[in-house]
Amino acid sequence: MQRAVPRSLASLDSWSRGSSALHRFDPRAKLIALLALLVAVATANRSIPRFALAVLLFLVAGFLWARLPVAGALARAAVILPFVAVLAAVLWIGGQGERAWALAAKSYLSALAALLAMATTPLPRLLGGFEKLGAPRFLLEVAQFLYRYLFLLPEEAQRMRQAAAARSMRPGIREGFRAAAGALAVLFARSYARAGAIHHAMLARGFNGRFPEMQTAHFRKADAVFAVVASAVPWGLRLL
Amino acid sequence: MHIPDGFLSTPVWAALDIAAAPSVAYIARRAQRGFEESRAPLLGVLGAFVFAAQIINFPVGPGTTAHLVGGALLSFTLGPAAASVAMTAILAIQALVFQDGGVLALGTNIVNMALVGVAAGYLPYALWGGGPRRRLAMFAGGVLSVLSSALLALSELAASGVKMSGGVLATAMALFFVSAILEGAITVAVIEAIERIQPRAARHPASPMHLEKPRFQRSPLPAMIGLAALLLSTVGVLLASTQPDGIQRLGERTGIAARVRMLLHTPLSNYHASFLQSDVGGKVLAGLAGIALVYAACVLVGRAFFRRAVVRNRSI
Repeated sequence: MQRAVPRSLASLDSWSRGSSALHRFDPRAKLIALLALLVAVATANRSIPRFALAVLLFLVAGFLWARLPVAGALARAAVILPFVAVLAAVLWIGGQGERAWALAAKSYLSALAALLAMATTPLPRLLGGFEKLGAPRFLLEVAQFLYRYLFLLPEEAQRMRQAAAARSMRPGIREGFRAAAGALAVLFARSYARAGAIHHAMLARGFNGRFPEMQTAHFRKADAVFAVVASAVPWGLRLL
Repeated sequence: MHIPDGFLSTPVWAALDIAAAPSVAYIARRAQRGFEESRAPLLGVLGAFVFAAQIINFPVGPGTTAHLVGGALLSFTLGPAAASVAMTAILAIQALVFQDGGVLALGTNIVNMALVGVAAGYLPYALWGGGPRRRLAMFAGGVLSVLSSALLALSELAASGVKMSGGVLATAMALFFVSAILEGAITVAVIEAIERIQPRAARHPASPMHLEKPRFQRSPLPAMIGLAALLLSTVGVLLASTQPDGIQRLGERTGIAARVRMLLHTPLSNYHASFLQSDVGGKVLAGLAGIALVYAACVLVGRAFFRRAVVRNRSI
């Protein structure tokens, strides 16, 4: 995660602003399809290798359809592998070697599927879809703000770290610990002040306490067809 | 500690998703209630702060660093309900944008870190945060928040059939214990540094400006008993996973095992609706019915909570 946070975020954000047919479907349709695929993957228990391969091809087809870089997406979803490897190793040690492979494959495919949904839907629209599906609005507003400042605050932290390195700070553990605490405190105070400034700017622009509808999208017939077909495919693949 | 999809068994993730949805709806209401609208930007920006905090490394030994997890720190500065909402938003963004933690496992991760983690982190502060043992309370909060989340995650994995030998379990526990201690130390150091800049940043747990009524203050017993029960049961699950044979024998002797097995297998028995004997259609239908059921349960319970919260608001 470290250094690459803003850059990888920016690439995902630009992916999500494409204009393929997959991008244009209603976010709700994509969420339904995503959930159907995730449940199909999570509950699969027979002939996993064949099923996993089929799902992988299905998802790759999705990335191709959306005109997104397949290799980049496959690599991006691989960020979960280190953690998955630890869990798989635990299973392996416990004498469940075959199961370890199956579960690792399931994890990777689930991450890839979530990535496909994210890479074809800008986050504000996706959150709008969640809202229409009944998720609490306040939580989604918080998530919106969080996402927006996700581009900013980590960069600020990065600058602070670079500044400390530029002053060739080579402290001992005790002083280093205190210095890091001080840096975080400054970052916290700045974030707090920034939130206040944001609120004042919103008020100055006529914010009346309620956000406008995040997106006024209609659930068209095509969206329904997509949701049904894309949900049915992984379940069909399970029966192969 | 972000559990990915694939490693949890269906009953575990489904049950925790169903538990998390109404809890989050209720807590979002509570965090929003009776407060000016500047909350959403504040919680969002402080959520981004927690992300940014992972970039600042704390040296803890030769060549090793740690970073802030943040649940306890947020609960001291925002109050527990708002901290839970911010942590939930963080976990959702991590699952969606960074594939850090699964989407189906999101409810599980929310329960572990945003609900239980934050509550466990706030409990010592609510009890002793106003008194002379304030530092100790903040330290204990940091430790408890990480430790309870980690124990829950371990026991959920164990309940999902990830068998852990005694050695693996001991290693994991030792690692979690160390990171819990570090979180406590980092939380105290950061709060004290913040207070040098903004003297009133951490809320006094009993002060009237506090967002939520400090219910713990009046009777800490239920909360403590609840937390203790939760931790004891997770430890029980963990012990059971290391010694499955002994527990099984005990279960069979007392007849509990059969009943539990029936309970676990009755709802949509193994995603195979029994009235549909044909394999093909049956499985697909049972799966889709399962999704619909989970979704309907979430919405219904969420609505019920919502309505109650709204009604109570009006009556005040």
